Amino acid sequence: MLQMKNISKVYQTEKVQTHALRDFDLNVDEGEFIAVTGPSGSGKTTFLNIAGMLESFTAGQYMLDGVDVGSLSDNARADLRNQKIGFIFQGFNLIPDLNLFENVEVPLRYRGIKSSERKERVMHCLEQVGLASRIKHLPQQLSGGQQQRVAIARALAGEPRFLLADEPTGNLDSLMARQVMELLEQINRDGATIIMVTHDPELARRAPRNIQIVDGQIADFTLYQKPTAVPVASVAGA
Amino acid sequence: MLEIKPIFNSLFRSKAGAILLVLQIAITLAIVSNSLSIIKDRMDYLQTDSGYSEQDLFQISTSVFAKDTDLLYLLEETERTLLGMNGVVNASFMREVPLSGSGSSSNFGNKPLDQNESEDYRSVNTAYTTTPASIFDTLDMTLIEGRFYTDSEVLKFNGDGGDLPTQVVVSKHYLDEIYPDGDGLGQFIYIGNSPIEIIGVVERAMGPWPKSNRPLNFAFFPIVDATGSQKFVVRTEPDMREQVMNEVEEVLLAQFNQRVIMNIQGLDDAKREYQASDILMLRMLVILIVLLVSITALGIFGMTVFNINKRTKQIGTRRALGARKSHIIRYFLVENSILCISGMVLGAIGAIYLGQMLFEHYSVPAFSAMYVVYTAIFVLIISLLSVLFPANRAANISPSIATRSV
Repeated sequence: MLQMKNISKVYQTEKVQTHALRDFDLNVDEGEFIAVTGPSGSGKTTFLNIAGMLESFTAGQYMLDGVDVGSLSDNARADLRNQKIGFIFQGFNLIPDLNLFENVEVPLRYRGIKSSERKERVMHCLEQVGLASRIKHLPQQLSGGQQQRVAIARALAGEPRFLLADEPTGNLDSLMARQVMELLEQINRDGATIIMVTHDPELARRAPRNIQIVDGQIADFTLYQKPTAVPVASVAGA
Repeated sequence: MLEIKPIFNSLFRSKAGAILLVLQIAITLAIVSNSLSIIKDRMDYLQTDSGYSEQDLFQISTSVFAKDTDLLYLLEETERTLLGMNGVVNASFMREVPLSGSGSSSNFGNKPLDQNESEDYRSVNTAYTTTPASIFDTLDMTLIEGRFYTDSEVLKFNGDGGDLPTQVVVSKHYLDEIYPDGDGLGQFIYIGNSPIEIIGVVERAMGPWPKSNRPLNFAFFPIVDATGSQKFVVRTEPDMREQVMNEVEEVLLAQFNQRVIMNIQGLDDAKREYQASDILMLRMLVILIVLLVSITALGIFGMTVFNINKRTKQIGTRRALGARKSHIIRYFLVENSILCISGMVLGAIGAIYLGQMLFEHYSVPAFSAMYVVYTAIFVLIISLLSVLFPANRAANISPSIATRSV
């Protein structure tokens, strides 16, 4: 699904070169749920940005679902992002002027999907996260946990094979964080590959595979048992 | 995929800035379209062909202060003296000088006044002048029907009053108005109940007031009244006017020094002086248009830049969710177009209303809706250009901004 080989990322300023990633190698198989941990400044977000094609890498090779990302144009990367990847951000990144329906609809519009199909998919995803009754609400009318569930619905709307979550529970209290985590686990059980960056070791342990990044390199792999399945109903009802 | 509905909803939810911009566009459209209408009208008026070779003509006034002067004799002698000058082609006494802003006008009927209640009675205003036959050659006029009057037909007065004229040469514009069926030659115009036969028609002759409603209505009566200030129009050979104008005062005073020579002025200069306020107004309107359009363009530019700065993370998020650069540019173009079109609808209503008000209360022409269309297209193009640069900048925002804490 995802293969990174000798990926390096160097940020160059006038006087300083910063190596955010060094000879980074990673293989992710379809259906995996990986938690990425590491201290601040270790390169987690850079890894996530490169994995999500949000920024380019300096050297190495990155294959996503058989496509050599390094050779793609900006437009092709945008299209591939839209089709293959769903993003969940720490700050939710919902568009404040758009209501829930319109927010979830955004990636589908960029894919050129017909209005009727968009509506069907958006409603289905909002139902999955338990917010179908609030489609006319604006993001600021929701709690943090609800906003993150909308963001998850948006990430799911495009039916991506690959979910990238950047500290998805970072702005949530522990109860909300648990609910969001349970939702991600459910999505993973439904077949999506998930890479989640987190600072929270407890949440990280819930992922079957952990990667620790230190100084732009993978410092440690840990494999855990799969967590016990959580009924979806308890997530949707939150 | 124009995202019109979400953009419209988004604008509706944060209205303040949008409303101000819509109002600015509306005001710009209303004022600029009316200004353009006025400019076009004034340009037409300024560019109206007078029918004269103005650059070869000049006027001169003389005022005699000596008592017991035979004014008629002096007038004819002055004409002869002018004709004798090097570079002069022709010169003629003319009581009312074209393009000068000073003259006479009157209404003449197509029937005697005592028939003014008849159905086909028509009374049309025209500027007129009393002048000898030489004026037609001096002004180099083109006769299109009939004939000019001759010197023997000219009534000459020397302060002793006189009869009314019985003949007149008129401009085609006047003839077409007083006799619209095209059968005016040989017919009569009336001062009260006194008939005056139309014996000739000149192709084009502008009267003393280029800005009047009927600038090209002009009538020439065969009368020479030597009393009062004597005005002459002189035509020179090409490029000789300046020299003749410099010498003419000295020559005329040498001929008869008991008079004052005044107002030596080229007809083109006289016209320019008469039109100075209109030219000034035109320039002011052009400055107003440039200012308004620039302010609007800057407003649109500023608001787009502000929106982009405010939405940096949102733009990054959109890019992360699969928006191409072209989607981002299109988003801002569509958003701007929605504002612009809303402003244009409002502005069009305002423009038509303003046009009616100006028409009713000031001497401006009736406002044509076409000016709204032209101005709207212009404003739309300017607004799209204003938004293009910042939108392009927005499109270059990295999608990685979505994962940063900004």
